[in-house]
Amino acid sequence: MLYYTLKRLGLAGLVALTVSFISFGLLYISSDPAIAMAGETASDADIEAIRQLYGFDRPILVQYFDWLQRAMSGDLGKSYYFRTDVSALIAERLSTTMTLGVSAITFAIVLSVPLGVAAAIRPNSVIDRIALFLSVMGQALPSFWFALMLIVFLSVTFRLLPTSGSDTWQHFIMPTIVLGYYAAPAIMRLTRTGMLEVLSTDYIRTARAKGLRPRVVLFKHALRNAVIPVVSLTAVQFGFMLGGSIVVETIFALHGAGFLAWESITRNDLPTVQGLILVFSLFYIVLTFFADLLNAWLDPRIRIN
Amino acid sequence: MIVKKYFSTFLAGTLLATGFVSVAQAGKSDDTLNVAIDRELESIDNYYNTAREGIVISRMVWDGLLYRDPKTNEYLPNLATSYKWVDSKTIEFDLRQGVKFHNGEKFDADDVVFTLNYLADPANGAKPARNVNWWKNAEKLGEYKVQLNLKKEFPAALEFLSGPIVMYPNDYYSEAGPEGMALKPVGTGPYQVTSVEPGKRYKFKKYDGYHASSPKGSASIGNIVIRTIAESNTQLAELFSGGIDWIWKVKPDQAKRIAAQGAFTTKNSSTMRIGYLNFDAMGRHSKNPMNDVRVRRAIAHAIDREGIVKALVQGESMVVNSLCFPSQFGCAQDIKSYDYNPEKAKKLLAEAGYPNGFETPFLAYRNRDFAEAMINNLNAVGITTKFEYLKYAAFRDKVQDGGSPFNFGTWGSYSINDVSAITSHFQSGGKDDYSKDPEVIKQLGIGDTSVDPAVRKAAYKAALSRISEEVFMFPLWSYNTWYAFSKDVDFNPTPDEIPRFFTAKWL
Amino acid sequence: MSEINSKTLESQTKSSVFRRRVFGHQGVMIGAAIVLAAVLIALSAPLIAPHDPYYQDLLNRLVPPVWDSRGSWEHILGTDHLGRDYLSRLIYGARISLLIGVGAALISGLIGTVLGVAAGYFGGRVDMIVTFMITVRLSMPVVLVALAVVAIVGGSLQVVIMVLGFLLWDRFAVVMRSSTLQIRSMDYVAAAQAVGCSTTRILTTEIMPNVVNNLIVIATLEIAHAIILEAALSFLGLGVQPPLPSWGLMVSEGKDMMLFEPWLITIPGVALFLLVLAINLLGDGARDITAPENRN
Repeated sequence: MLYYTLKRLGLAGLVALTVSFISFGLLYISSDPAIAMAGETASDADIEAIRQLYGFDRPILVQYFDWLQRAMSGDLGKSYYFRTDVSALIAERLSTTMTLGVSAITFAIVLSVPLGVAAAIRPNSVIDRIALFLSVMGQALPSFWFALMLIVFLSVTFRLLPTSGSDTWQHFIMPTIVLGYYAAPAIMRLTRTGMLEVLSTDYIRTARAKGLRPRVVLFKHALRNAVIPVVSLTAVQFGFMLGGSIVVETIFALHGAGFLAWESITRNDLPTVQGLILVFSLFYIVLTFFADLLNAWLDPRIRIN
Repeated sequence: MIVKKYFSTFLAGTLLATGFVSVAQAGKSDDTLNVAIDRELESIDNYYNTAREGIVISRMVWDGLLYRDPKTNEYLPNLATSYKWVDSKTIEFDLRQGVKFHNGEKFDADDVVFTLNYLADPANGAKPARNVNWWKNAEKLGEYKVQLNLKKEFPAALEFLSGPIVMYPNDYYSEAGPEGMALKPVGTGPYQVTSVEPGKRYKFKKYDGYHASSPKGSASIGNIVIRTIAESNTQLAELFSGGIDWIWKVKPDQAKRIAAQGAFTTKNSSTMRIGYLNFDAMGRHSKNPMNDVRVRRAIAHAIDREGIVKALVQGESMVVNSLCFPSQFGCAQDIKSYDYNPEKAKKLLAEAGYPNGFETPFLAYRNRDFAEAMINNLNAVGITTKFEYLKYAAFRDKVQDGGSPFNFGTWGSYSINDVSAITSHFQSGGKDDYSKDPEVIKQLGIGDTSVDPAVRKAAYKAALSRISEEVFMFPLWSYNTWYAFSKDVDFNPTPDEIPRFFTAKWL
Repeated sequence: MSEINSKTLESQTKSSVFRRRVFGHQGVMIGAAIVLAAVLIALSAPLIAPHDPYYQDLLNRLVPPVWDSRGSWEHILGTDHLGRDYLSRLIYGARISLLIGVGAALISGLIGTVLGVAAGYFGGRVDMIVTFMITVRLSMPVVLVALAVVAIVGGSLQVVIMVLGFLLWDRFAVVMRSSTLQIRSMDYVAAAQAVGCSTTRILTTEIMPNVVNNLIVIATLEIAHAIILEAALSFLGLGVQPPLPSWGLMVSEGKDMMLFEPWLITIPGVALFLLVLAINLLGDGARDITAPENRN
């Protein structure tokens, strides 16, 4: 188990490094950091001076390792736009995004797992059709449309919820629904498929034949095995949501890390974007890592492979 | 499901259209004006942000030595009771006594000297540089007397001193610096800041100790909250549900319909911003059709400016023929202009050797629909475009690097009511100049440095005429802004596009 | 002993069983019908569109569809913010959505299949590298890549297809890899190897035919995915550039009028929804039909 853990950790670190290097490269190609830092009213001389001062004329690899070195010690630099520490900026915005992400994935799981199980128990029934239809709706519905429609009905017309902002927990209800709904379809389908497969296996038939009560069969044996790919997928979906939260955060004026990421990209605020990418990919990697561990614990066969 | 999806949007539209939506009394009932802006401010410190919203807040929180009256454009005394031009490069100010900063600090010559010398030092990086790089230093002549020494003759000096240059408290700023000021601003203005959530929300309270003799008058509304809401539909939803009382930069199609509903007040005001087409007249980017003046004239005749203004820009906008806004000092209007004449355009193109037109890259960063309408006009005379729509930062970079032979841009002159704030920016040989015409540069130089208004006017007219004659850049139209706000609010926009909340009242 | 006559045997041939499965499957039938309709509309666009989708009529902007009191039969689905006929744009938009979907799926399918099959067949180092690439790809923010590409190369239909193609290969790779892993341990593969068949021959004659079913299922789903992703990219301004009548772009252009003239986004939104629904039904149906065959 220990060897497995170490191996996964090493791999995870390598992935994080690769992602951050590629992003670094992409950012540098798509905008000139000296101009971004100098601002719009700087003269050519100012820009050149900044280029020398901050070493923007060095080879990309050198600049990257310089950034990496400082990042390892927690110094993510200063935002070109806000002129404050990137780490402080991200920390402040991240709490909103995390709150949103966690409640959204919880909502997604609470919505999709029971639905997936119900659909698997009665394949091709009405429930199954509804579940499939809802899952397609979730993928084909533009999230901004869904978000604005919720606002129009729940906030403007019926005054049930506040429209935008992040002051109270009520402010998070609509964003959670929109973001969670976006992650739900994949989880639902996977649960359904997994349950369908498991329910037709030999050992379930054996359990039934032994006379175990259906509920015991369902939860103790079937679900435990069906849930394995779902755990991995949930981690993946959570990672995606950090990126998908851009639209939700923009519309509900939530000022989280997703909104910051998009705005920073369009403002050419390289240090902030670089810092956010590092944080996001680390989160994603940690999540999948824990998902793998959980799976290995649930199914010993995975560890040996 | 499909029917349901359509029905719900239809229902929403109907509810709003029939005015079913009721409006809460939130704003007036707790004496708080809730304002929404569409972008995050980098800093609330006046000298470290360049957004228009920053300028609006600056007028609320700080005062300058003088104050430009938005209606008469006169320079009125504010923190300075009088001024005197000692010579063409020196100004003497008598300062107002009895003024206190929001934190109780006394206002006197030390604050003025400190502020002006701090700004003059390029190492401090105050933005934008052109606002602060024209004086050498300030000297204290007495407890309430200051002298300002300019670097060279600078006719726009009073314009800057009556707007963007505001006075900071020396004790507080030397200790807190820009970081401290950005989190806890201190000024002498009619509103003081009570809470700062950087980029998210700013809260203001009326400053009871505001000096009564200020030309800004005395504020009426007790509390103001400014929130950043990036999505325009969310701003509208907040307005409809009563969470927000005042929004601006409403799109004209939206404003029209809000006005038709009658539940809110909508007002339109012209701004100093103008749109323009920029051409690579001298071949800075490459040898391309824009090098030929006949092609540029053809394009000038091909664009239906009047039609676009009426259908798309709307409001109080109008076609402009000089590369400046008509109210700006030196903006001569009696120069060559181009009428909408596609036939003439085609003839000119044929003369220049393009009887079947040509293809050109075309760059823009805003008003995509205006750009599309212009592309349509160009297609009609045979010119096809490879259109690229970038964010402002990317657009600016590409243009200033010499990478765009043909682009559509706008300029608001930072509301400085002087031709030097726009024409000189684009045609004095700087990074945005794609023509670098020696004659234009010379005339603009004369206009920018002379202190004799007659000489300035003549020089600017010469420059503008030549620009128009050679179509180095083609002015399109002026922009306007729509404001939408609760019926409880009495607010009047000003043509400099700087909303003054200290003149707003409850009805 | 039951009687086996020739008729019973005939009706059990593989193709007739297959045909029965397909036509009996509701989802596949509905999905196929809609997709077919979309393809026909796309192909016959110049014949059936009432107006030029690019023609601007600034005096007739934002005219509502014919069922609204302010609408007319001149523009059955109304006009957009530049006075262009919405029905014509919708019809031509079918071409763009289908082109993007199929184009992106082809590119990503190629990349993903090559990587996935290689990983599954050769295992060891190759598998490690491919798995690594997949994880890196999943951790990369899509928006950033799209933005960087657009900043360098500019936005256009080809660029969008390429970007989507290079971003959507991960599901192909994962599924192809696991399918190949399954097949590789089969007896007939071991037999082919023992006989001394070259790797290429084994891949083409033993592996590929058996993974092609999964490939088709994933391909249909990724076509839908690419279409939806293009709509999201258009919302951020990184998708197809105007004046192309992409449905995603039409939705994004109509967004500002959402609270006042909702049909501007509802109409292309419904079109997108129907197409994606249909493709998903086809994919799911394909999986249902071919799955029992693959079970071992």
